[in-house]
Amino acid sequence: MGSAVIAGIGMTAFGRHPGRSLIDMAAEAARQALKDAGIAPSRIDACFFANALAGRLFGDFTVGQNVSWDVGINRVPVVNVENACTSGSTALYLAYNAVAAGQADAVLAVGAEKMYVPEFGLINSGMNELDTQLGLVAPASFALRAVRHMNEFGTTAEQLARVSVKNRRHAQNNPCAQFRDPVTVDEVLSAPMIVDPLTRLQCCPIADGAAAVVVCSPRGTPHPARAVTIHTALLTSGSYENPQDLTSWETDYRTCRRAYERAGIGPEDLDVVEVHDAFSISEILHYEALGLCNTGEGGRLVAEGATELGGRCPVNVSGGLLSRGHPVGATGIAQACEIVTQLRSEAGARQVDNAKVGLAQCMGGDKAGDTKSCTVAVFSV
Amino acid sequence: MSKTTGEIQPVARGVFSLPPYDRRPPWLLGGWCPACNEYYFPRPPYCRSCLGPVQEVSLGSRGTIYSFTVIRTKAPFGLPTPYSVGYIDLTEKPLRVFCMLDPGAVDRLRVGQTVRLAVEPLGQNAQGEPCLRPFFTPCADEHTGEGL
Repeated sequence: MGSAVIAGIGMTAFGRHPGRSLIDMAAEAARQALKDAGIAPSRIDACFFANALAGRLFGDFTVGQNVSWDVGINRVPVVNVENACTSGSTALYLAYNAVAAGQADAVLAVGAEKMYVPEFGLINSGMNELDTQLGLVAPASFALRAVRHMNEFGTTAEQLARVSVKNRRHAQNNPCAQFRDPVTVDEVLSAPMIVDPLTRLQCCPIADGAAAVVVCSPRGTPHPARAVTIHTALLTSGSYENPQDLTSWETDYRTCRRAYERAGIGPEDLDVVEVHDAFSISEILHYEALGLCNTGEGGRLVAEGATELGGRCPVNVSGGLLSRGHPVGATGIAQACEIVTQLRSEAGARQVDNAKVGLAQCMGGDKAGDTKSCTVAVFSV
Repeated sequence: MSKTTGEIQPVARGVFSLPPYDRRPPWLLGGWCPACNEYYFPRPPYCRSCLGPVQEVSLGSRGTIYSFTVIRTKAPFGLPTPYSVGYIDLTEKPLRVFCMLDPGAVDRLRVGQTVRLAVEPLGQNAQGEPCLRPFFTPCADEHTGEGL
């Protein structure tokens, strides 16, 4: 059994918030999470604040101390976390470890990002990396996987598009999602081509937004009936071995396998899953790494509807990154917020029936054809 | 290769052989640890296994396309739109390397195609100056990989 629970969650709507600062959004999410948990700011023993881009975009740093003090948290350790797209889930990992190790009884993990700025452009893996200087932009590293997956397994453009269609359908019922209008396979395939074979509707949009959770010991929550157990929260980095198989991400498989081992469950036990669908192909690869289907069969899995709400194992019922948007620092915590909402049976029209066990998977950064960071957390009620 | 190529700086040093090429194709540079017989691209200063020094070696000029894509959105570094990147399985060494592909051949690329290295002025460096970049281009005779 896990030795930490999520006692409270909070989240802003993700989208375009030109009038709001990073700190303002982060503090809103944090305030919601503290109130939801019923835990006073003075009870918080530590704060982990995740953000990836404020240093580059705004020249800001140690933002976590500003956010925590805006919600009345002072004197305690505050750590600012940057781990690319897993910044948020890394903050959750740190919060879980602090509580599970008995170093803290109640910890706040907040993730926030503000990305809608002029000339934002495409994310890369670091300006000084050789790959970046040779033209690697984030969508290209996923397109290279898609091309190879199509080549080896016969995955089709339509199957890729089905990921976007499914997640948009899910997002209709998520008021925090940025894009909630349904799209068709034809619309996805005829959208402007960004990086072959990924069209614009297969690439997650940027967003402004924040999300927060309060992690505490099982006995520390004032509302045990609404607490969600964290069985494990894992963080790994890449192997960077050469050659990398672009169709089966060893780091992803390794992290998922370890998470199952630690939680004592298997893929057949999952009721609801959030994965890092930064691009349509990503979700298909994560199905395979999670063992929701065999390697090479992810395209068929989405096409047969197994991962839709009402299917065998619903994935990204929040709408995923593809519809919710991807405020980099906030995403990993937003995934946890969705799983908690589902396991509390508070997800309204997007509720998965009788959801008891959930999993959140995230990935960040790109190096040597591998990911720099992978997180998997398993939750239950 | 134009005469001015030799005056233009490479996008990065120690990644590919510099002109003049004297009618030989340019070749990729990488690292080799003699103690571990481990090859690297790009070359790290020290071996990741034994932490000993890594020698600079040629990784050859040829390979086959493992995967590729064409970037059609606004290009960084003043690169042409569209341009192409991919992973190449090198013929001479056991490495799969990321590199650019010939922006003039984006409609002719396919997985499994044999390619050779070329180096030309392409886009700008991080300082906004024109620079040499390496890219793989389809071999004239795909069956033998010959035809420079």
